[in-house]
Amino acid sequence: MRLIVKVVLFIGIVCSSSVSATVKIVTTTQDLASIARSVGGEYVEVKSLTLGTRDPHFAEAKPSMIRKVYRADLLLLIGADMEIGWLPALLRSARNRDVQAGANGYLDLSTSVNLLGKSEQSVDRSMGDVHAKGNPHYWLDPNNGIKISRLIAERLITLDPEHQQEYQQQQKIFENKLALKILDWQKELLPLSDQPVVAYHKSLIYLANAFNFKIVAEVEPKPGIAPSAKHLNKLVSLIEKQKIKILMTEPYYERRSSKYLNEKTNIQIAVLPQSVGAMPEMLNYIDLFDGIVASLKQAGDF
Amino acid sequence: MNTRTISWTLIGRFTPLFKIFIFSTTLLTSSQIFAKEDVNTELVELKKQLKQLKEQQLQLEEKLEDIENTQSKAQAFPVVQSTVASNNDLLKIGLSGLFSSGYSSVNDEALESLQAGGHDPNRNGFNVQNVELSVISTVDPYFDAQANIIFLIDQEGETVVELEEAFFTSRALSAGLQVKGGQYYTEFGRFNPQHPHQWSFVDQPIVISRLFGGDGLRSQGARVAWLMPTDWYSEIYFGAQNANGETVTSFLFEEGEDIAGHILGEKRARSFNDALLSFRWLNSFDFSDNSSLNFGISGLSGPNSSGTNNDTSIYGVDAYFKWQPDYVQRGYPFVSWHTEWLTRRYEAGENIEREILKDTGFFSQVLWGFQTGWELGLRFEKSDSNGDDIFDPFRNDRERISTNLTWRLSEYSKLRLQYNRDWADHLEENTADSLILQMEFSLGSHMAHKF
Repeated sequence: MRLIVKVVLFIGIVCSSSVSATVKIVTTTQDLASIARSVGGEYVEVKSLTLGTRDPHFAEAKPSMIRKVYRADLLLLIGADMEIGWLPALLRSARNRDVQAGANGYLDLSTSVNLLGKSEQSVDRSMGDVHAKGNPHYWLDPNNGIKISRLIAERLITLDPEHQQEYQQQQKIFENKLALKILDWQKELLPLSDQPVVAYHKSLIYLANAFNFKIVAEVEPKPGIAPSAKHLNKLVSLIEKQKIKILMTEPYYERRSSKYLNEKTNIQIAVLPQSVGAMPEMLNYIDLFDGIVASLKQAGDF
Repeated sequence: MNTRTISWTLIGRFTPLFKIFIFSTTLLTSSQIFAKEDVNTELVELKKQLKQLKEQQLQLEEKLEDIENTQSKAQAFPVVQSTVASNNDLLKIGLSGLFSSGYSSVNDEALESLQAGGHDPNRNGFNVQNVELSVISTVDPYFDAQANIIFLIDQEGETVVELEEAFFTSRALSAGLQVKGGQYYTEFGRFNPQHPHQWSFVDQPIVISRLFGGDGLRSQGARVAWLMPTDWYSEIYFGAQNANGETVTSFLFEEGEDIAGHILGEKRARSFNDALLSFRWLNSFDFSDNSSLNFGISGLSGPNSSGTNNDTSIYGVDAYFKWQPDYVQRGYPFVSWHTEWLTRRYEAGENIEREILKDTGFFSQVLWGFQTGWELGLRFEKSDSNGDDIFDPFRNDRERISTNLTWRLSEYSKLRLQYNRDWADHLEENTADSLILQMEFSLGSHMAHKF
């Protein structure tokens, strides 16, 4: 019994020593973490629950995540059902009132943007992984990065009004830097304007929207459904007919189907980092688009 | 009543381990890593230079936004939470169906003792293993709740309905505490609380059937869980549940049942001392972003009804390890390893017939997700008991090797082919070979991806 008391006391001391004045932010993805770091600067501590190399939809509610959410002051999520498989279970175990849906510490960033691909007609699962609430990959439009940063700043000010000025200033700096980069990227990707391309998964519609290219087909016949030989052969004739030059895929998708199409049609494969951290050199949200642009330029040879 | 103090002795027994954990806390606390972006200095300059460009950009953008946002402008920058709960979020309903078709070298009667799990395929021919209706949601700011109702068709072709689970959990307690109450699976080990559609094999391990019966250990009660303020995940559960009923087989169970020849009498709980007490300590460690280990110890203590003052205690150790590479498509590839070891001490009979029954068993299984949607599994199990009644199928020495191949066509359906090789002395030829094909579908709300 005495041992238990000692242990409890000891743990208490260990924990009280790690208390700090910063806002503890937990994000579901690395992209949100990067933007939150830019906006929050030294007044926040940011941890992402998932790796940039993985598809956030297929994360698992690991026990270590419970600890992170338990300690958080602010939870930032992509929303639009992106985290539906693991975040609800995580929130049920995390015992943190401050970050439950509806609380000020819960911020669904899909509310900051206009979601594309909302289903007009009724959906069922024979259509594959269709997100009825809209396509959740909206961070791949850098203009949405600006909107995300504004909403994060807004919420940080609510939670930590003492640093209102700093948050506003840091958000503005981030916005200005990003706005200028967007002009650069648009210029660099001008040759891609109105060009037809093929994507592996239905995850690049925001990128296409931002840089004005056209995704005419996906390697997956339906979202999340593995391509059949028949579907691939259909793609071969489509690529040849429309003279499509670029196939875009994320680093974690299987490369066999893409290579098959490359061999048959000489379509160039652009492996696009889809998230901050998807490749080791993508340290922040701006690096991410630098990487995407570089990869597209290389594949398109322009 | 020595066995009542099981929880404390368990902690005592693991004292060295406990100390190591506490020591590592201090190490971990001092190594918090948070990346920071150093943008301030260079950007104040940039800001000046780019003011003009920026203004143009903003003008254009604002115009664009005005057009885009006409419908949703009002909630563009909500200060307080703005997610609108759809009907989906108010009540999540799911139905999962688990069916199989199996053929074995032994007949149905022998299969019943080999596949003693209530949801195991145990007939030559077709089986409806488990059709489960689950409803889950948040009650109010204070509670979450869920209910799982099971339908199955038994060997006689009768439909069975069970209230598998119905419980609430607290949302709003502080200090890392959570209370759960109702009818629920006892949090003992990793396997016991899992539902049949979460299993990695088509059947439940032998030792689980022996110690917890065909349906796993579940009963009515309440438990408190404490998420300890350590830097790694560490959680302690204490619970009390009713010790009687058909799903509490190692304890009061039901009158008329027999265990190793001892017929169970009628015995009801007279005081809190007659409750089934449970303890669990679960820890989880992330070795890197790619690999994690769960390690747990569990204990149970309660009365049994084979005599007036007889008690049962069960201990268990469980470990689960999972590895994934950096790049993962839909959760593949991965390698996972799950092992549990359980032992039971059962005071049986009275007076001259009194004896101590000891039953022990373990299983160890490896799963290899070698390609998106495809998993290969291998499981080895062994269970034995004291005394040598080789003809008691629930206490004799048994071994089993199982291997299977699972194909998840999507997140909502799977096909699984499993081969079992059994060794058991009560069988005519001492061995049995079985081949089972299983199919699962799930409808409704999205299933949780559990680690």
